[in-house]
Amino acid sequence: MTAMSIMRLLPNGGSSPEGSIFLDGRDLLQLDDEQMAKIRGNDIGMIFQDPMTSLNPTMTIGKQIAESVRIHRGASKAEGLERAIEVLSLVGMPSPQQRARDYPHQLSGGMRQRAMIAIALANEPKLLIADEPTTALDVTVQKQILELIDGLRERLGMAVILVTHDLGVIAGRADRVNVMYAGRIVENTTTEMLYANPRHPYTEALFDSLPERGADSGTRLYSIPGMPPDLTKPPAACRFAARCRYAQDDCRAQDPPYRVDEVGHEFACFHPVGAALRSGEEVEVTLSEVTSTEELPTPELGEVLLEVTDLVKDFPITKGFLRRQIGSVSAVAGVSFSIRKGETVGLVGESGCGKTTVAKLIVGLEETTAGSMSLEGTDLATLKSGERRKKSRDVQLMFQDSYAAMDPRMRVRTVVREPLDIQKVGDKESREARIKELFEQVGLPASALERYPHEFSGGQRQRVGFARALAPAPKLIVADEPVSALDVSIQSQVLNLMKDLQAEHGLSYLFISHDLSVVRYVSDRIGVMYLGKLVEIGPAEAVYSKPIHHYTRGLLDTIPVADPEVEKAKASSGIVGELPSAINPPSGCRFRTRCPAAQDICAQTEPPLVPYGTDGHLAACHFPIWE
Amino acid sequence: MTTYLIRRFFQSIVTLFIVSIATFGMMHLMPNGVVRGMLGQRATPQTIAELTHRLGLDQPLYVQYWRWLDRLVVHFDLGTSYQKSQTVNALLKEDMGQSMYIVGLALFFTIVISVPVGVLQATRRNSVTDYTITTFSFIGYAIPVFFLGVVLRDLFQVQFHLIPIAKQIDSFHAAFSQPDQMILPVATLVISGVAGYSRYMRSSMLDEITQDYVRTAIAKGATKRRVLYRHVLRNAMIPMITLVGLSLPTLVGGALLVEQIFNIQGIGVLTINAALSSDFVIVLGTTMLTAIVTILGSLVADISYAALDPRVRLT
Repeated sequence: MTAMSIMRLLPNGGSSPEGSIFLDGRDLLQLDDEQMAKIRGNDIGMIFQDPMTSLNPTMTIGKQIAESVRIHRGASKAEGLERAIEVLSLVGMPSPQQRARDYPHQLSGGMRQRAMIAIALANEPKLLIADEPTTALDVTVQKQILELIDGLRERLGMAVILVTHDLGVIAGRADRVNVMYAGRIVENTTTEMLYANPRHPYTEALFDSLPERGADSGTRLYSIPGMPPDLTKPPAACRFAARCRYAQDDCRAQDPPYRVDEVGHEFACFHPVGAALRSGEEVEVTLSEVTSTEELPTPELGEVLLEVTDLVKDFPITKGFLRRQIGSVSAVAGVSFSIRKGETVGLVGESGCGKTTVAKLIVGLEETTAGSMSLEGTDLATLKSGERRKKSRDVQLMFQDSYAAMDPRMRVRTVVREPLDIQKVGDKESREARIKELFEQVGLPASALERYPHEFSGGQRQRVGFARALAPAPKLIVADEPVSALDVSIQSQVLNLMKDLQAEHGLSYLFISHDLSVVRYVSDRIGVMYLGKLVEIGPAEAVYSKPIHHYTRGLLDTIPVADPEVEKAKASSGIVGELPSAINPPSGCRFRTRCPAAQDICAQTEPPLVPYGTDGHLAACHFPIWE
Repeated sequence: MTTYLIRRFFQSIVTLFIVSIATFGMMHLMPNGVVRGMLGQRATPQTIAELTHRLGLDQPLYVQYWRWLDRLVVHFDLGTSYQKSQTVNALLKEDMGQSMYIVGLALFFTIVISVPVGVLQATRRNSVTDYTITTFSFIGYAIPVFFLGVVLRDLFQVQFHLIPIAKQIDSFHAAFSQPDQMILPVATLVISGVAGYSRYMRSSMLDEITQDYVRTAIAKGATKRRVLYRHVLRNAMIPMITLVGLSLPTLVGGALLVEQIFNIQGIGVLTINAALSSDFVIVLGTTMLTAIVTILGSLVADISYAALDPRVRLT
């Protein structure tokens, strides 16, 4: 919102912003519409979150970039297009001449964001505002885009405001960080200082919620209790007080003013955390003590629950009058793994790698092309539909967007009861009792049963979604990106809950996510998928700290870590290029087109999944990273 | 594209078959109605039987259907009216011109008025202008066409004599040469048309105005005008095109009520009179014609949709 107000792009209906916004000595709030239009796109460029919706679908990207030039430089059509191609090559668009003639839907997500950046940079602005520029993108593409913005900033000498919720993205890119909470800046300092020594309790709490902090120590994640305040009636005192673990009476009585410590670290808090530093003193990396240090229970692993063998799924592509099949999308190509009772298996990979298809196959939303999925000895792939439906009691799905996955006109009581009704579990009373029990387990009050999905917050909705998945007492829950849509602090609540209930009921999880640090935190074992293949699988720690496959290595380097030191130390540039099409996947090893170690043999023979060491660590690579 | 057209062509043939069989079957559920109607009060069982035989109406239904189909496919002949001693082809030719002229004019003015009105409303959302126009379009939407037509006729022709009452308009030439006679029927259709279309255009514009790409365009420094005409309007027009394509059949279907009220001998009147006097052949002919134009209309809508929106591909 603050970023939008700089551009004076605020939606109608609010009062106009007060205060002042100075750009090169001119107060933007004093300008009229016409003068402001001359600033926008000329002195300030802006990129938005979702490049698909942010580009005009019926205009070629060349024209859209040229428009910016034509408005501000009075260029002709031809000159505008020429500049557009120039800027496209500046932002690293492959074959810019051709791409300029493409419509947004013909480009990949990463290319679209490049086009978006090209629009913002066409007139070489002094300031670039990037509002969550990579939130809608894949991790590997995220890295490329962030690197591009960084590089352009240096080359063009412009300032960048990077708005993001992702602490990892900030760590590697920003010089200074402003932490905002409920419409206020609560802390402002250099990036190094902020990560090493956060002073505001909110910043500290954010760090404590990160799964990578928990994975190292094996502890429970901290989660910020409660919800952000209702900003229609903001509290007169410290806006964070209600959720703060250090809050005292004075926090609830008056608004803390900004304080600056001797090293220029600004924050607004009466009872700051961390160490007060004198100037010249070295910052020592002291991560705040996690307050709730109770160990998470380690569930005992039983026998194999689900055994997936050579799972294959092809989607046919048809053409012509008679809809002949002319090819197929190889979404899942021979994936094998097993899940034991009480175990969590994580599945990671870029979007389009087939992890969601695997999930759909296991819960029976798609039919397998080949392979078997044996659940306690019964092959799910060959069951008749009626039997399969009965078996689906044992395997339940948890969705990413619980809101979209619930009927908006059903009370959550009905939403949660539906699986019981379908599976004809018990009688009416026992079902009601079961729903109450479930709500208690997921930490929702019984009064919430009568509410509709839209009356819940995102985290609560995910709890309802979890309760629904738990309803028929399944043995396995397939969780497809269950926390990706949630904020860090709420994410940690859901993750803690999932772990607790696993220990209590001996549940098994197949946990699918593109976020390696989340997967590492919850999983016992991690499988890495690339373009329909399982390229590596093994114990979570081993995969994370000693990856064998180059793809896993690349993924780890690509994922931004919320620690400036680690970010700076990263040598490799992560994974280059974009995911090839699954219609004609590369021969041999499917990763070879993007692999730094690829040789001729990789194109000829497909590497088999072979064990390394004795802890069940498997990888499929001709040139493994293994000493 | 070619495969798409071929597939659509075959689908259309099948559709037309089904339409013809269904219509044919329904028309012949009432036996001998035609013959009795043709012979009038003095008909004896003997003359009825004789004429029934002569018209081939005593044959089994599938034979009759086959004969009708044979004539249509081989000679493009839709048959001869029982009541009027004219072929259906000739009747359609006579009445189609004025019907298409009136409905076409109405459609043209409806679009020309609705689009700017919708744009105006969307850009001044929730203003006095918006509410005023909304009120009028709801009134226009709520008034039935026949009532509106009668009111306009009585007001302008009977009460104030602003427009003279002419004799029946029974040819395209009669319609074309008397523009004053066209004002009221076209106005009737335009008023009720604009009421619906402008609402549609308004919501289509509002959908587009809130899109993210509009924000991008403003961030580029584009002025409001530029954003509106270069970006929003084109995208907002796409659903309108579909609507227009789907209303093409009314061009030949005629506007029955308007034709009745303003004394125009068009396709609508032709059809309803034929249906009332059990002249099945004519009804069958107009139904087939409407079916063909309906199919063409939706084809035109689909193709223009693909032409305007690069994301849509016809397969």
